Amino acid sequence: MRYRLALLALALLAVLLWLLPYGLDSYSIHVVNVIIIFAVLAVGLGLAMGIGGQVNLAQVAFFGVGAYATAILTTRSGLGFWFAAVLAVAVTMVVGLLVGLPALRIQSHYLGIVTLGLALAFTNWVTNAQIAGGAEGISAIPVPSLPGVDLSSEYLYYYLELIVFAVGLAFGLFVVRTGLGRRLRAMRDDSLAAGALGADVPALRLTAFLLASIYGGIGGVLYAGVIRYVAPESFNIANMFLLLAMVIIGGRQSLVGCVAGAVALSVLREALVDHPTVAQIAYGAVVVLVVVFAPTGLAGVPVRLRAAIERRRRGGAAAARLQAFQRYDVEPVQPGEQAPVLLRVASVSKHFRGLKALDDVSLTVVTGEIRGVVGPNGSGKTTLFNVISGLYRPTLGRVEFKGEDLTGKPPYRLARAGMSRTFQNLRLFGDLTVRENVLVALDRSRTTESWRYVLRPLSVRRRDQRLRAEADGVLDQYGLTEFAGLPPRSLPYGTQRRVEIARAVAAGPALLLLDEPAAGLNGEEVRQLNEMVHSIRDSGVTVIIIEHNMGLVMTMCEQVTVLASGRIIAEGTPAQVAATPAVIEAYLGDSMSDLPPVPTEVNQ
Amino acid sequence: MQVFLQTVIGGVSLGAIYALVALGFSLVYRTMGLVNFAHGNVVTVGAYLASTFYLSTKLPFALAMVAAIVVTGVIGLVIERVLRPLENKDFDLMLIGTIGFGIVLDALIIMIWGATGRAVPSPVPAAPLQLLGLRIRTYDLVVLAIAAVATVLLVLFLQRTKRGAAMQAVAMDHEAATAVGIHVGRSNAIAFMIGAGLAALAGGLVGPLLYVSPALGGTLGIKGFAAAILGGFGNIPGAILGGIAIGILDAYTAGHFQGYSELVTFLVFTVVIMIRPTGIFGERTVNRA
Repeated sequence: MRYRLALLALALLAVLLWLLPYGLDSYSIHVVNVIIIFAVLAVGLGLAMGIGGQVNLAQVAFFGVGAYATAILTTRSGLGFWFAAVLAVAVTMVVGLLVGLPALRIQSHYLGIVTLGLALAFTNWVTNAQIAGGAEGISAIPVPSLPGVDLSSEYLYYYLELIVFAVGLAFGLFVVRTGLGRRLRAMRDDSLAAGALGADVPALRLTAFLLASIYGGIGGVLYAGVIRYVAPESFNIANMFLLLAMVIIGGRQSLVGCVAGAVALSVLREALVDHPTVAQIAYGAVVVLVVVFAPTGLAGVPVRLRAAIERRRRGGAAAARLQAFQRYDVEPVQPGEQAPVLLRVASVSKHFRGLKALDDVSLTVVTGEIRGVVGPNGSGKTTLFNVISGLYRPTLGRVEFKGEDLTGKPPYRLARAGMSRTFQNLRLFGDLTVRENVLVALDRSRTTESWRYVLRPLSVRRRDQRLRAEADGVLDQYGLTEFAGLPPRSLPYGTQRRVEIARAVAAGPALLLLDEPAAGLNGEEVRQLNEMVHSIRDSGVTVIIIEHNMGLVMTMCEQVTVLASGRIIAEGTPAQVAATPAVIEAYLGDSMSDLPPVPTEVNQ
Repeated sequence: MQVFLQTVIGGVSLGAIYALVALGFSLVYRTMGLVNFAHGNVVTVGAYLASTFYLSTKLPFALAMVAAIVVTGVIGLVIERVLRPLENKDFDLMLIGTIGFGIVLDALIIMIWGATGRAVPSPVPAAPLQLLGLRIRTYDLVVLAIAAVATVLLVLFLQRTKRGAAMQAVAMDHEAATAVGIHVGRSNAIAFMIGAGLAALAGGLVGPLLYVSPALGGTLGIKGFAAAILGGFGNIPGAILGGIAIGILDAYTAGHFQGYSELVTFLVFTVVIMIRPTGIFGERTVNRA
C-alpha cells in the first residue's frame, strides 16, 4: 500500500515537473535550469560526504573541470559538444581520483583543508592559464545539438537537464541502497570495523571521490551547455560553501535531502537576489543552526515527525524482544589429533615507542579449536588480536593464516581470507540498521566490481535481494528478527553484543576472534553466549576468545593461553593452566604465591 | 646566493604572519581537537577592524591593533558558545558549523566594508635598510618582532599560569580534566578567544603588507592552516617553523611560477602531507585506532 502510494506520488511529481516550463517566463526557466545543475552537484557531494564520510571541499572544482573541459574541447579543439562532454566527464573522473588520493592517508579536517587547497589551486590555474582564457574565461561555447530538438531554447534544455538529473538521482539512490552504498556508509560510521569485515577501505574512499567527480563533471557539462560561457568566479570557494550549505541544510545522509537543500537555498538566493549579502548571512546562520539543532537537516524532519507520532500512538509498549539463539543444524566436527593448523603466530613482538605490548609471542591454533586468551588488564591480549587481524603491523615476527604468510596485510585482506572479529568496545555501524550491519558482512563483492552498477544494474539488484534473504536467515537464527529495522544504538547492550557476533559470523569466517564477548552481560546472557560459541564452532568455525569471565573460559575453551606483560606465561587445558604457579602469580601478585592455590570448579 | 637570501627575507615576514595564523589554529586544535574553518574570516575581520581604527578613527597603529584584537576575541567567544553543544561529540559537524560562521562573517565583512579593498600605509618609515647588499623593509622587522613577542607571551601563558596549565590539561584529556574540576567549556572559550585574537593580530599586521580585501582571509587562513599541519598540528614551535616554511615556499613560488604560485604551493603542501601526515614535529597520529 505504502509502496503504491509512493509510486503514485512519484508519478504525480514527474508530471508536474514535465509541465513546469509552461508556467514559467524565460528568466524563471533559466533560474530553474541553474537549480537543477546545483541539485546534480549536491547529489554528488552528498554521496562523498554524507554517504562516504569523505570531507570533499573540492566538489566545486570537479564542477569547474567538467565545465572548462567542455569549453576548451569545443572551442579550442573544435570537437562536437557531446563528444567533448563525454571526454570532459572522463577528465573530471581522473581529477576526482587524484583529489581523492590524499584520503588514503588523511581524513576529516586534514582532508577538508587539502581538498579546499586543491580547489583553490584549480581556480588559480584557470585564472592564469592561457588555454582557459584567464580571468575573462571562455565564451561562445557551441549549442549542444540534438536532432529535432533546439537546445538553444532554455525551455527545451530544461527537459534535457531534467532527464539527466532524474537518471543521476535514481542511480545515486540505487547505489546508496545496495551493497556499494552500504559499504560506503559502514566505512563512514566506523572505517576500522568496516575494514575488519572485508570492506576494502582504500578503494571505497576513492570510489566516494569518483562518484562525486562524476556528478561534478556532469553538472559542469550541463552548465557549459546552458550558460555557454565559463569564468573562474563561478567555481570559487564561496560557491563551494554554498554547495556545502545546500547539502548540510538538506541533510547530507539523504540524497533526496541534498536535492531539497539545493532547491530551497537556490530559491532563497533568488528571492534575495538584490541583497546577496543578506542571503549569505541567512544561509550561513541556517547552516550553524542546522548543525547544532538538527544535524540530519531537512531530510530528518519527516523521520523525526514519524518517530514522534509512533511514540505517541504506541506509548512505548510492544518493544521488540530478543528471541532465543537457534543452534546450527550440523553434525559437530570433532577436532581430531591431526587437525590442520589454521593460525600460526610466530615470535611476534609489537612495540609502541618504548613499551613492549607484545614480546616474542608464539601461538598455534588448529582448526576446530576454541582457544581462550586470558591475562590481566594491559597484558597485550587486544594488541595480539589487533596484530592477528591486521590492524597493527607487528614490529617483529610473522602471522600465518591457512599456511599463508599474511603479516602486515591490511585488515580487509585478512577478512577476505577468512578472518572475522568483534571488538571490546562494540563497533557497530551506528547509522545502519541491524539488518544492514549483517548485510555489510555478508556482502563479499569487491569495490572494483562496481562497474556492474552501470553495466549490469539488474544483476546487482538480484544479488542484493538474495543477500537480504540470507541476512534475514542470520537474524532469525540469532533471534534478532524483531530488531532488523532498528539502528543498533537503540538496542540494549546485551543485544548489541549479539548483533556484533551475528555480524562477525555472517562474514563466513574460518577463524572468529571474539574480544571480551561476555563483558557487560548478565548470567543468563553468558550462558547463551556459551551455547552460541559452541554451536558456531560445531558449524566449522575456529574460535579464539579473549575473556575475563574465568568461569566461562574454563567451561568453554579446550585450550587456554595466558598472557602477562606481553609474554605468554602458560598454555594448556584450563585445568593445567589454572594450576600453573606463574599464572597465579600474574593474577594475584607474587606476595600471594605462597598461599594455597585457589580451588576452581575444574579442580574439583 | 644573493637572490636566494633576498627571497628568504621576502618570505619570512609573510611567514611570520602565517605563523600567527597557524598558532591560532593550533591553540584551538590542541585544546579541543577542532579546526576552526572560520579562522581565515576572523583574520579578515581583524584586518578590516585594525585598518578602520588606524585610518578612520586615527588611533595610533598599536592601539588600533589592540582594539581589533579585543573585538575579534569577542567573536571567538560567540563562535565557541554557539557550537559548545557539539564539543567532543561530532567533529565533522563542528567543522561544518565553523564553515557556517565563516559564511556569515564573510557576508558581514562585505556588508560593512564593501566588496572593494583598501591599501593600508606602513606605520613606520618606508625606506628599506641595506644590510650586506640585501634590502630589508623596516616594517618586516616590526612584524617579526611583534610575532616573536606574541609567541613568547603565548608560551608563557600556557606554561606559567594556572589557566594556561588548565588548558594544557584539557588538551591532553578533557575527561580527566573535568574530573579534577577544570571547566572544559571555559577553557575552550579562552582558547577560541586567544585564537581569534591571534587572527586579528595577524590580520592587523598583514594590512600594510598586502591589500586588505574580503578575499584576504581565505588564502591567509588556508596557508596558515597548511603551516600548522606542516609543523605538526597542535605543536607551537612547529606552527612557527611551518609558517616560516610556507612563507618562504610562497616567496619562492611567486618568484619562479608567478601567477601559478598558489597552485604550486598547494600541490607541494598536498604531497608533503601525504608523505608525512603528522607534519614535521607531529606527535599525534591522524587515524587513531
